[in-house]
Amino acid sequence: MLEVKNLNVSFNGKKILKSLNFKLKAGDITAVVGESGTGKTTLAMSIMGLISEQFSNAKVSGNIFFNGIDICTADRNQLQQLRWKRISMVFQNVDNILNPTLSINSQISEIMPGKNNDLKIKNTLARVGFPPERAVAYPHQLSMGEKQKVLLAMAYILEPELVILDEPTSSLDHHTRNNLIDIIKKMSSGRAVLILTHDLDTVRKLTKKTIMLYGGSIIEAGDTEAIFSNPRHPYTRGLLRSFPSTDRTKDLQGIRGKPEFVEEGCPFHPRCTQSINICRIQKPPLDEYEDRMLSCHRGGIIPLLEVKDVSKSYNGLDVLKSVSLNIYEGETVTLLGRSGSGKTTLAKIIMGLLKADSGEIYLDTRQVNKWDFNFYSRVQMIFQEVASAISHRLNVFEAVTEPLVIQKITERKILEEEAKKVLSEVQLPADHDFLRLYPHHLSGGELQRIVIARALILSPGLLIADEPTSSLDASIQAKILKLLNNIQEERGLGMLFITHDLGVARKVSDKILKLDNGIITEERIK
Amino acid sequence: MKKRWINYIIAFFIIITLNFVIPRLLPGDPLSAIYGDEVLLNLSDEATDYINKLYGLDKPVIARYFIYVFSIFRGNFGYSIYHKKPVLEILISHLPYTLILTGLSMLLASISGAILGIESGWRRGKKIDRFILSSIIFISGFPAFFTGAIFLIIFGIILGILPFQGAVEAYSGFSGFNLAVDFLKHLVLPLFSLVIVYIPTAYLLTRNSMISSLKEPYILFARAKGLTDTRIRYRHAGRNSLIPLTTQMGIHLATGLITGALFIEIVYSYPGMGTLIYNSILNRDYPVLQGSLFMVTLLVLIVNFFMDIFYVKLDPRIEYAY
Repeated sequence: MLEVKNLNVSFNGKKILKSLNFKLKAGDITAVVGESGTGKTTLAMSIMGLISEQFSNAKVSGNIFFNGIDICTADRNQLQQLRWKRISMVFQNVDNILNPTLSINSQISEIMPGKNNDLKIKNTLARVGFPPERAVAYPHQLSMGEKQKVLLAMAYILEPELVILDEPTSSLDHHTRNNLIDIIKKMSSGRAVLILTHDLDTVRKLTKKTIMLYGGSIIEAGDTEAIFSNPRHPYTRGLLRSFPSTDRTKDLQGIRGKPEFVEEGCPFHPRCTQSINICRIQKPPLDEYEDRMLSCHRGGIIPLLEVKDVSKSYNGLDVLKSVSLNIYEGETVTLLGRSGSGKTTLAKIIMGLLKADSGEIYLDTRQVNKWDFNFYSRVQMIFQEVASAISHRLNVFEAVTEPLVIQKITERKILEEEAKKVLSEVQLPADHDFLRLYPHHLSGGELQRIVIARALILSPGLLIADEPTSSLDASIQAKILKLLNNIQEERGLGMLFITHDLGVARKVSDKILKLDNGIITEERIK
Repeated sequence: MKKRWINYIIAFFIIITLNFVIPRLLPGDPLSAIYGDEVLLNLSDEATDYINKLYGLDKPVIARYFIYVFSIFRGNFGYSIYHKKPVLEILISHLPYTLILTGLSMLLASISGAILGIESGWRRGKKIDRFILSSIIFISGFPAFFTGAIFLIIFGIILGILPFQGAVEAYSGFSGFNLAVDFLKHLVLPLFSLVIVYIPTAYLLTRNSMISSLKEPYILFARAKGLTDTRIRYRHAGRNSLIPLTTQMGIHLATGLITGALFIEIVYSYPGMGTLIYNSILNRDYPVLQGSLFMVTLLVLIVNFFMDIFYVKLDPRIEYAY
């Protein structure tokens, strides 16, 4: 029905859309999701064939086939035949999108062929829930919601085969939005519908398929449900994490940095926490990946740690019975359980402090056989008892730089630099006086931050936090949890968070695993 | 709507009052203007009193003001000393010529200026746009009397195809259809000189607002709706581009009536308000001057009233703002 093939659009030589490829089928409602400025509206304009007509500085290449007609090469006449009669669009509800000096009625009737369309206009307006007797009104007399309904009615009135909706629900209140979603659903049956939006709530309620757009490229595409429940691209996950919803308990996290224009390589690489050299140089192709299409050199969010069938018993008492878990880059997995349920045992096994009776542990998809320097530079741990986690004979500087010294980095200048960097990251002072304080000079919250700083100094990929806040009072706990969240956003740190406190678990986790009687069950975060 | 009526009534009274006050602020007193200082010096006190009473100058200012207001409502604008006729009579004999001349020229100039502006703005930057723009800017450099004089010389004298003096041929004895043809023939040159004077403003205003209208989202929307170019150009962009022109026309009418018409009427000896005002100033004919100014302001008020109504038709948001 609609096939976009290798579509490129550039303005003044700046590439806005970069080789887009996708197809739409009749009856499908598809979302194109992306932040403002990713080229959604440009895409809509291209499909309407408006780009070259509207912008003289634009260059379009590639093809957009609509039932065999190539919109990119069609002449004016052909386009005029397509527009509105076969492809229509609900424009973004901005100021002056409706002509302020013409009544609603006359703006609708001018798109209809022939005369005597009053009845049809009335019916269509009624279908979208706009009182038909108000059609004599002028745009400035309508509310945002009413204008949106008028725009919808206009788009559907000629019963086109393809409808493009540009931000149909943004800037509307919750109630009006749900009402519109129902209307759109009702009106759209049998048509191909393309919804361009950044409102994930609408996408989830309305669409079957989702295309994620970033920097003018498709980065992930597939079934809406699959993408939302299990995002594979770091950007998709970041966007989902930034979006407030009623059924998410984890604190909002954004995506680090800000959108910037990227000429080469993966459009997301400056903000991606797992980008490597090739991401900067070469744009990843959009490849099939299990149940979806994905454009990422690293195959999506990379798995950091995999624990497979680990068992452990003490004196015949089975503490862990063939336990498995996965932690991905930038993800917090919480291990929830009563005291003595084996949480710390599992953490110690992962850290190599205890030996498992059976089972395997993989780090960065490679099996861990020996726990050496390499392992510890990737995985660090924060312990439960902050007071005893730092030797009282070491001052702040020595404590924080200890892991570097163990890794045989001893140059004073480097150590100082690194110490200052991590201390400011955990929001502690990094001046000379502070560096020379001893643990007994510091409060519990400060000590915990120093422990976190020490864990961060080797830039690990994975942090195991064993009850990191249980000995702190609530206000300091809140600060530490926020801090960990921010560090995760900035560094893409994977975290195994061990706690017995469900409230804390819900605030920090992407996934909660419950450890009981040596068996792990996953708790749905609801 | 009611509020607007009150506004107009207030404006009307302010005009009447100003019209009463301003001449009285002029230096000298009316008697010396009428009879001259020498005569007054030689008059006896009784005679002076008599004259004062005759002209009502013995009454207090407030009383004189009310007398003035009431006589205006009765259509009495005083008596012209120079013409030896009631002022109203003189006004009525001059006003229609100016109304036809300026009204028609403004209408023609606005329509053609608007159409040129719309077409030119639509083709912004293209050859035809640049041609129209530069020629109109060139024309707008000419003052009204210059254009008038050039037309007069070319069409009236060198080519000799059109009359260039007065509103009708004097002593021709034309009547009926012949009179009408004669009248129109005399109208052509002053009319087109004025049209040329008015076109640039209408054109430039429309072209500019056309260019900004074309950037509005509803134009893009209209394109997407698959509407024809003509429809987008006139109904969507053009119509909304007329709003500034309408405003300007309302304001311009006042100045247009006095200045624009004044020069052209004098160049062509056209017996309109311009000529009348000009001669009254030369002859110190204050009652006529006062009456003319009153007529002009009243006219502007009436025109503005209709503009207000037209405005709401053109832009429904205006009514909303009231």
